[in-house]
Amino acid sequence: MSEISQPSTVVTALPEAGPKIVAMRGFGISGRPTLLISLATAIAIVCLWWAVTRLGVVPRLFLPTPQDVLTQFGAIARDGYAGASLGEHIYASLFRILTAAGFAIVVAIPVGLLMGLSRWAKGILDVPIEFYWPLPPLAYLPLMIIWLGIGETSKITLLILAMFAPICLSAQAGVKALPIERVNAARSLGASRLQLFFHIVLPTALPEILTGVRIALGVGWSTLVAAELIASNRGIGYMIMSASQFLATDVVFVGIALIAVCAFAFGAAVKLVEALLVPWKGRT
Amino acid sequence: MLTIDHASVTFKTDDGRTVHALDRVSLDIPDSGFVVALGASGCGKSTLLNAIAGFLPLSSGTIALNGRPVAEPGADRGVVFQKDTLLPWKNVIDNVALGLKFSGVSRAEQTRRCEDLLDVVGLSDFARAFPYELSGGMRQRVGIARALAADPDTLLMDEPFGALDSLTREQMQEFLVSVWARTGKRVFFITHSVEEALFLGTHVIVMSPRPGRIVARFDLDFVRRFAQTGDSRAIKTSAEFNSLREEIRALLHGAHELRSVTQ
Repeated sequence: MSEISQPSTVVTALPEAGPKIVAMRGFGISGRPTLLISLATAIAIVCLWWAVTRLGVVPRLFLPTPQDVLTQFGAIARDGYAGASLGEHIYASLFRILTAAGFAIVVAIPVGLLMGLSRWAKGILDVPIEFYWPLPPLAYLPLMIIWLGIGETSKITLLILAMFAPICLSAQAGVKALPIERVNAARSLGASRLQLFFHIVLPTALPEILTGVRIALGVGWSTLVAAELIASNRGIGYMIMSASQFLATDVVFVGIALIAVCAFAFGAAVKLVEALLVPWKGRT
Repeated sequence: MLTIDHASVTFKTDDGRTVHALDRVSLDIPDSGFVVALGASGCGKSTLLNAIAGFLPLSSGTIALNGRPVAEPGADRGVVFQKDTLLPWKNVIDNVALGLKFSGVSRAEQTRRCEDLLDVVGLSDFARAFPYELSGGMRQRVGIARALAADPDTLLMDEPFGALDSLTREQMQEFLVSVWARTGKRVFFITHSVEEALFLGTHVIVMSPRPGRIVARFDLDFVRRFAQTGDSRAIKTSAEFNSLREEIRALLHGAHELRSVTQ
């Protein structure tokens, strides 16, 4: 009788709590939530800010207290700033960014797709785009003013130029990501060139395009202050620039916070659109 | 009849060498014939399939389907790829309906025909599921259903079961035979599994590389026997099956050694 083949009948009594749940050891973040850490960090930063100002380490003129900023926000919300209400300032900035984003999206997506599909389009359009897109918007701002004047046109054009490149480049990258097997499969199912474009190329490029739009909106907000340097009397960027001239740091802080909130809301909106339009992203 | 007449394909590799991927290959595939191309990698079997599908032009020779020369990809030749090429943004039934959508079939008619096909491939319960929710075997069945939906004259299958585990693979082979027996489609199937080739093909062609050509051809009836009896184990363990398997294996091995000697 072999002892090895004898099944073990000794069962250790399991504790009431049930088995320990295990999972594969990950590497890096591997999908674990970070929200609580981020929240704690945000609270810690505000506390540190409050402590630094409270202890008088930095003069209030340079760094206002959190209360100062809140009070100033209340005052601006009630009385407006520099002859316009808070709503008018926000509206002016949102109008510029959204108009520019609309133009950039409508033009950059077809141009980017065309550059991804056509050798001639790529060869020709690469020259102006690769030349201008690494330039900082502030560098060509004077040209915008000279060519287009000091009205809305030059501001919006500056924003369009800043937002065009990321969307155009991402649309190209989206076409590049198209596997040839997918094209061949569609052609062997009888797809015409037009059907190939609308049913295969466009949806394949869509996740990349939306990433590009998200980046472009971020770039838009960071260019906004530059755009509103041009003889404006409305806008969050204008508010910040004007307040800095009077060393009104609390107003600068209010403006920065407003931009941060708006940019965050835009980012969240695009993520929502992504969840609706490309739920398959990252899962193929 | 699918007629391949002296088909040659010559490539130029990135480092400038000339490769004769296919060298004057001639082959006739009758209606409702099931031809399996077998050979080591680089023997030109995928090149041949790509040429039949119209993805790749020939250097010389002709391929004609029912008398009409093949020039472009078309809905008369349905292709099933090794890696499934389902569209991740469409659910199962919309993926299956893709060919019908391209040819302008009405929505209601698409749904009716695709529901029938999903029934055939046993995926009726997954019509609204997305590809990323399915297993490898299920995805390949969707791929086969999609190729069948456009009602092609010929099915071209490029190692469709290569990425599946052996159990699923055998199930898929039997499933494919049942579909083939039911629809009577002409099939051109690529594999490098000798057993798969023997079990599926009414004809098996053995190919050898550099230059890619057909070195042997076997006419078989295992697949018809299986379609009638449904007993795959009896066929795969029969003496006839085993001796043929060894013969082809020796042939492949010989072709391989011959290549080693000439190099």
